[in-house]
Amino acid sequence: MFELIVNILLFIFLVFTFFTHVLEAPVPAMAANNPYALQPDVWPKAIIILLLICIAINIFKIIKKNKGKEDFTLSAFIQSVPKFFTSKMFLGMVILFVASLILDALGFMVTTILVLIAYGFLLGERKIVRLVIASVCIALVLYIVFNGMLSVNLPRGTVGFLRNFALFLESIVSGVKGIFG
Amino acid sequence: MSTMELLASGFSVVFNPSMFFMVVVAIILGTIFGALPGVSATMAVALGLTFTYTMEPIPAIVFLVAIYCSSITGGSITAILFKIPGVPSSAPTTFDGYPMAQRGEAGKALGVALFCSAVGGLFSAFAMFLLSQPLTQAALQFGPADLFAVTFMGLSILTCLDGENVLTCVISGLLGLLLACVGQDKMYAVQRLTFGNRQLLAGVEMIPVLIGLFAVTEVLKQTNKKDFLNAEDGIGGGRVNTKMPTLKEMWSIKWTMLRCSVVGTIVGILPGAGATIASFLCYTMEAKVSKNGPKFGSGVIDGVAASETANNAATGGAMVPLLSLGIPGGNAAAVMMSALVLKGVQLGPLLLVNQPTYLSATFASMIVSNIIMVIVAIGIAKVFAQILSVPYAYLGPIILMLAIIGSYANQLSIADVQIMVIAGILGVVVKACHLNSAALVLGLVLGSMCEQNFSRAYLMSRANIVDMFMRPIAGPLMIFCIVMLVTPVVMPMIKKRRAQKKD
Repeated sequence: MFELIVNILLFIFLVFTFFTHVLEAPVPAMAANNPYALQPDVWPKAIIILLLICIAINIFKIIKKNKGKEDFTLSAFIQSVPKFFTSKMFLGMVILFVASLILDALGFMVTTILVLIAYGFLLGERKIVRLVIASVCIALVLYIVFNGMLSVNLPRGTVGFLRNFALFLESIVSGVKGIFG
Repeated sequence: MSTMELLASGFSVVFNPSMFFMVVVAIILGTIFGALPGVSATMAVALGLTFTYTMEPIPAIVFLVAIYCSSITGGSITAILFKIPGVPSSAPTTFDGYPMAQRGEAGKALGVALFCSAVGGLFSAFAMFLLSQPLTQAALQFGPADLFAVTFMGLSILTCLDGENVLTCVISGLLGLLLACVGQDKMYAVQRLTFGNRQLLAGVEMIPVLIGLFAVTEVLKQTNKKDFLNAEDGIGGGRVNTKMPTLKEMWSIKWTMLRCSVVGTIVGILPGAGATIASFLCYTMEAKVSKNGPKFGSGVIDGVAASETANNAATGGAMVPLLSLGIPGGNAAAVMMSALVLKGVQLGPLLLVNQPTYLSATFASMIVSNIIMVIVAIGIAKVFAQILSVPYAYLGPIILMLAIIGSYANQLSIADVQIMVIAGILGVVVKACHLNSAALVLGLVLGSMCEQNFSRAYLMSRANIVDMFMRPIAGPLMIFCIVMLVTPVVMPMIKKRRAQKKD
């Protein structure tokens, strides 16, 4: 049922896109007035039309394949929704999404430690002290490898004291780099 | 300068003690970069640039070529052990390498991957050296219609990626093509499909999407499993002893290696079509041609050999237009080009006329790298295999953090991290709907090139599509593509009719 719903939603989204968002700015005169130029909307529109045809066939195939099955009903799908929202996978998605949102504000070190602890706990690690110590160590190793050795400027964070902490770490790393030439 | 003198000058550069040491360092770095999920070959070469600032131009290109070749090979290690391609071109290696690892044959899969990588790399190095000028001349003859036909051939592979689900494969590929349309169109800079989001104006960034689809989706899937991936499942207690293929096994894949070396080198030469397309193309080609074709995807050495020979063969090919014409054959070659330009090297046809050592030193670097990297990769594979004995509660989050760093380091952009997360979540939906993520990625990779060349060819043929393909290269290629697209749909129907007639 989930597959069918996704296909139907995709179909509706593509129809909406076809009529509203393929072109979002006027076509320059050099293209619009040239009868031999491929207009900028032709290629995406052709792809959308092909997609709509394929998705329509796919919807028909899904219905034909699952017709009569007990779990192929809307009520069965609705019943399974709460189960998904309490699943580990969904919580994992939430952790990742939150991490991408806080990365800029909290910086690399804090975000990494939080992700490692939260995801490690989600994956079944219950020895909290070991998890926290390992998370701090892993975050430091990643920081040294990517910031220190590979010169990747990792996010410092925008919160004052965290930014100062990141700058402090960077000064240590560059100091060590200076010693080793 | 005679050929022997040219070769001698190239090898003298590489075997200079300090340069040789740097080449070994480059191979170790390249293999590790390649093996790290989220560090693509292009990123590896870009990260390697920092080491070349103090070098002369020829040692710099020698160093970067060594990183490039070994990073492509390094990608196979994580592809086989973790089902996470270290570099995008190793994605097809997961199709057969990982099932082999699950059967406890990780060592054998790694051995085949390394051996075939070396064969592909050595073949393309010789091809680069011997055929550089004529092949470049041939590629120069390609018009937009021919280039469209080549990219369309890459897309027609979609139907072969998953023979039993042709429709979902085509949908996935078309979705990838549509994603490639997001942002300003390349011909007239008209804004399309951004839904008002400014960050999408430059288009959908490929590296975050690849990391999301290939790395994050895998971790999310593992998160939901009761039994996590552990050492016993795949690679024998976290210890891998790479086993080089026996003579019998080498003999059994000889034609696969030869075909993929040739095709991989040719694809590498074509601008824009690099190691990723080469490995996908050759994997699909071998799935059709090889005697073990029907077993592809279940863990056969032919599958590993096809993608690993091809992606390494593309490395030599990519250097041909760079050295002969000053046109990069791919993203990594473009980074190398920027390194040479930075040093004031005048790129173009005159480069090899005036300074042929560039060609011979690149050739020598590729020969040495492709041999030494086998030994280095065996050692690194052992280290990476041990990583698998770390509990997944630690390994999973580390992979996620590497994915975050990989997508962020691409452009130092938080938006790329968010794109990666969305791509990872979409990857789960793609799996749940039986869509094909590899086909989606292929559509995304080829989309822009395909549209641009079609648009140019359309303009040049004065909007006459028949005229567009009335060319000696484009015409036969398009017919070949149509046959490839139609065969998986028509063949089952013919078989069904035959069966009905018999009844």
